[in-house]
Amino acid sequence: MSDLALPLTGFAPMALADPFEIHIGPVFEKGARGSRSFAIRIDERHVNRGGVLHGGMLATFADLALGAAVFDATDGAPSVTLAMQMQFLKSARAGDIVQVQPLLLRRTRAFLFVRGDFTVEDEAIFTAMSTWKLLDQGHIDGDSGTNS
Amino acid sequence: MQAGSEDDPCEEISLVGFNRHIGPIFLLAPEDDGTQRYVFTAREIHMNAAGTVHGGMLMSFMDVAMSKTARGASATSRLSTIALSCDFVSPARFGERIEARVRIRRRARSVVFLSGELVAEERTLLIGTGLWKVVPSA
Repeated sequence: MSDLALPLTGFAPMALADPFEIHIGPVFEKGARGSRSFAIRIDERHVNRGGVLHGGMLATFADLALGAAVFDATDGAPSVTLAMQMQFLKSARAGDIVQVQPLLLRRTRAFLFVRGDFTVEDEAIFTAMSTWKLLDQGHIDGDSGTNS
Repeated sequence: MQAGSEDDPCEEISLVGFNRHIGPIFLLAPEDDGTQRYVFTAREIHMNAAGTVHGGMLMSFMDVAMSKTARGASATSRLSTIALSCDFVSPARFGERIEARVRIRRRARSVVFLSGELVAEERTLLIGTGLWKVVPSA
């Protein structure tokens, strides 16, 4: 799909470090650190047999975008996803642009709570609520959760 | 053991689109109690920069496993995910053979309730619950 190379108006390509995110990307971002918005353009790699955006792709985009909000809120301290709850409100298709501006609901010493309402052309299609745990330095490998 | 190798015969279910992009994912023989089983082996593309399997891949795998299980016998119906919840219990590593075990808890006329887990070497990685919508074919 040549669509992959197309820029998104108002957005810049996001620098991705995780191989899985690079594999499903590109991902675009705009705004200042701490209030960034994120966007993806759905292409043929992201849909299922019926041409509908795959739930796993939305889950992955949510983990990425909400994780970036956690990263911003903690100055990049290592953290892991503990839990994510997702609701799939409406289907999306190739060519659609999905956007989210994650909202940090609360931060405690060890945990962060973040939600994201995802839209296509300002219509809600998906919502995700996630719980993150900040890792003690030097304790990354032994802790629970999935680094993201 | 490499998933889908000759010592471990199973059917590939990741044939098109996103499934194919993140696959291969294979179907395994079900357990006696009806639990459906699926497997993939963590490759470089599935990882995060911290060296564990990306949470997005684990959730995607659970979504695929639950979708396939919900579809079950009603192969002609259209199904879609309404809700999915995942708890990340422990990290998965490069090269691990990751198995999904999914069970239908209730199949109603228009929705299917599922629960499942991902395991590697009998270590629980992820616990999930899912709600799928069924649109009967006309």
